Amino acid sequence: MTALATRQADFMASLLDDERALPPDWTARHAAGLEIYRNNYRSALVEALRATFERTERLVGDESFARAAAHHLITCPPSGWTLDLAGQGFAETCEELFANDPEVAELAWLEWSMHLAFVARDAEPLGTEQFLEQASAFGEEDWAKLRLAFMPGIAVRDLRHDLKALWSSLAEAAEEGEVTLLAEPATCIVWREGERPVFINVSTAEGRALSEMMSGATYGETCEELLASEGEQAVELAGSMLRRWLHEGLVERLDQ
Amino acid sequence: MTSIDHFAGFGLGLRRTHYADFLEGEVPVDFVEVISENYMVEGGKPLRLLEEVRAKHPVILHGVSMSVGSAQGLDEDYLSRLRSLADRIDPLWVSDHLCWTRTSAHNSHDLLPLPLTGEALGVVCDNVERAQDALGRPMLLENPSSYLTFPEDEMAEWEFLSTMAQRTGCYLLLDVNNVYVSAQNHGFSASEYIAGLPLDRVRQIHLAGHIPATEKRPITIDTHDREVCDAVWALYAETIAQTGPVATMIERDDGIPPIAELLEELDRARVIARQASQARAA
Ligand SMILES: [Fe+2]
Repeated sequence: MTALATRQADFMASLLDDERALPPDWTARHAAGLEIYRNNYRSALVEALRATFERTERLVGDESFARAAAHHLITCPPSGWTLDLAGQGFAETCEELFANDPEVAELAWLEWSMHLAFVARDAEPLGTEQFLEQASAFGEEDWAKLRLAFMPGIAVRDLRHDLKALWSSLAEAAEEGEVTLLAEPATCIVWREGERPVFINVSTAEGRALSEMMSGATYGETCEELLASEGEQAVELAGSMLRRWLHEGLVERLDQ
Repeated sequence: MTSIDHFAGFGLGLRRTHYADFLEGEVPVDFVEVISENYMVEGGKPLRLLEEVRAKHPVILHGVSMSVGSAQGLDEDYLSRLRSLADRIDPLWVSDHLCWTRTSAHNSHDLLPLPLTGEALGVVCDNVERAQDALGRPMLLENPSSYLTFPEDEMAEWEFLSTMAQRTGCYLLLDVNNVYVSAQNHGFSASEYIAGLPLDRVRQIHLAGHIPATEKRPITIDTHDREVCDAVWALYAETIAQTGPVATMIERDDGIPPIAELLEELDRARVIARQASQARAA
């Protein structure tokens, strides 16, 4: 390593680790200067996390959030060029730190997904009409082979809690978060509608089907999976979910 | 590499709380400076808003993450995204800081100080040349404020900046507040620093506020969160008297007040610059 590279590696290590011994040629003035950089580093990142995870902070309170953010910076120090991605992995950090309150990680995941969807690539969803037009001549085999490309920024996760209620109860700073278990687990879908990130809940069976098709499975393969897991209801679900995805604007185009 | 013409207006940084002022009203500024990284995204609302602002004002792209001081060189993905943004926005110019922000493993997202050595100067010049090639235009580099200097330093910061500008053909963004803060912290003369720069390369000036040192904390901290202090105004007057008219802006990053307050500060800069011009003419 060159002298500069060594200096920078050392400086970075000292920035990230409060306990690290300083270079032998450094004086008390250097230590005081470094302390300012440490503070700047930490506060910029904690600020970035607070801005992205506004509702998560309201749910757990300032102090718990600050502790979680500090923990996150130690376990996942940022590596990318944009501060916008400092929250990468924060939902997983919450899962570990708030293991007894799984709604915290669910909410953090939702805020993170909406944050990503907000600046995802611009795209026009495929309307139901356009889809029907393109599929008008489909034979059975075409339906089986159908693959879909979904809107940029779409994200999917299973949830135990009613995030819709939690989300709106935390809209204002002083509110108490309303934590309720869903009657049964659901799958949350996040995407961007125009310029606004939005989310809906669907059944976990539909959520699984969507995840499969997002990873490239054909409609035929997905329907077979549904048949195996849902039995008789599969046929109806296969139709209604496709209609919903088109109606909500989740599909960008046919991908064949 | 083409040159950058003088553009002697008065501007403000675009901050989220002022979007409505810029989009719905007429803000009396000659240019708007934006943080490049906030718009180096794939799509969505921020880019649409920036394009609307661009339709009304000339825009400067001011970056914080290029890290021209990194021994590892520049991030090619970063450069190509910045190039796309510049192509899309057609800015007055693109700027970043004389500092480093990352190693190959980590990013501090802070403007970290460089040892002022011949070796670091070589690295910075290579990186600036690479960036200017990738962007297809010369850049402006800004002097950061700093809180420590290195035992291995071989030259003053103004000498470093002068040689960098001379070797790479880049221009300077002179943050007068940063000069003041570093002068306080390292005990050099702010006037000597400014007089030591190639002032014909200065294309833009930043003015900002800081927290003065105290007995308990003997370090002046560059916070950009309050109004410009009198000592910095005086240094601006001294600077603009030597440079002649240069694009000047108030840079507020935190504690953002209503836009009217920033416009008042900008008016003070206008008055000082006008007096300097009149004095030069006389
Ligand atoms: Fe600045």
